[in-house]
Amino acid sequence: MSQEQVLYQSPLLYRVLREEDGALSIEVVVGGIAMHTVRVRLTVQEAEAYAREGSAFTDRLAREIMAQPSFGGRAR
Amino acid sequence: MTWMVRSLLLWALLVVGCKHAEPVVATPTPALAACDARQAEISKEADQLAQPWSIEQHLAKNFPDLKVSWLMPEGLYQKYVVQTAAKNFGRCDDTACYLFAAPSAVIQEAVNKSMTGGTHAPDVLGQALGLPAKNFEGPLRMMTLDLNASGTCARLPVDSDPGVWKCQTPEDKDCFKFGGYTSGGVPEVMVINAPVAQTTVTEIP
Repeated sequence: MSQEQVLYQSPLLYRVLREEDGALSIEVVVGGIAMHTVRVRLTVQEAEAYAREGSAFTDRLAREIMAQPSFGGRAR
Repeated sequence: MTWMVRSLLLWALLVVGCKHAEPVVATPTPALAACDARQAEISKEADQLAQPWSIEQHLAKNFPDLKVSWLMPEGLYQKYVVQTAAKNFGRCDDTACYLFAAPSAVIQEAVNKSMTGGTHAPDVLGQALGLPAKNFEGPLRMMTLDLNASGTCARLPVDSDPGVWKCQTPEDKDCFKFGGYTSGGVPEVMVINAPVAQTTVTEIP
């Protein structure tokens, strides 16, 4: 059973998750007529920005990931 | 007598002339009439950029029955639509919910072509839609919406729409090119506030 926890679910079609090992990640729905998801682990700086700004930060991050789903090779 | 014939002829000409002079009232496609002021403005700007193409021509040529479809993996559909009791499909911000969709007939034909032994073949579906096969792995859901019956707004997608991934090279697949066609050559529109309640959802094993 997955211990993954959903911290925030956005109507912009992304979720902020705390993974089993405690790390934060963002799962973003990408694509057009056929959608799929990619997942990116947040860096320490990004996790701090999320703690500070909340969904304002993850909205920006999700839009960046939607615009470039490989996210510089960080997406899985 | 000649005077009477001339008068009758003149009267007949006037009647015919008046009939031809009746103003022609263009009825906008319901999908365009359904757009609010904000989306109508974006649509107008997109049409100017796409000249001589327009959403009106695009719908008439590629969406003659005004039925649109799109695909989602089963897990994604459950997490983002069912579990959230979403009212509209797509990516929602404080202005609207934005969704890319293709002609239903095109998606249905691609799905039919991909079915072998009760399940779909991701590579066949991907090839038919000009997208990577990995996007179609596992069970899928196919959504279908009648733009006309539901009174839903549709326009050409633009660079600033949520979810747009702009193509960087001509070889790029699964990315956005302005003009109403996917990078794989499938016609597409941006549907605004596609209502879940009026959408038909089909399982694709």
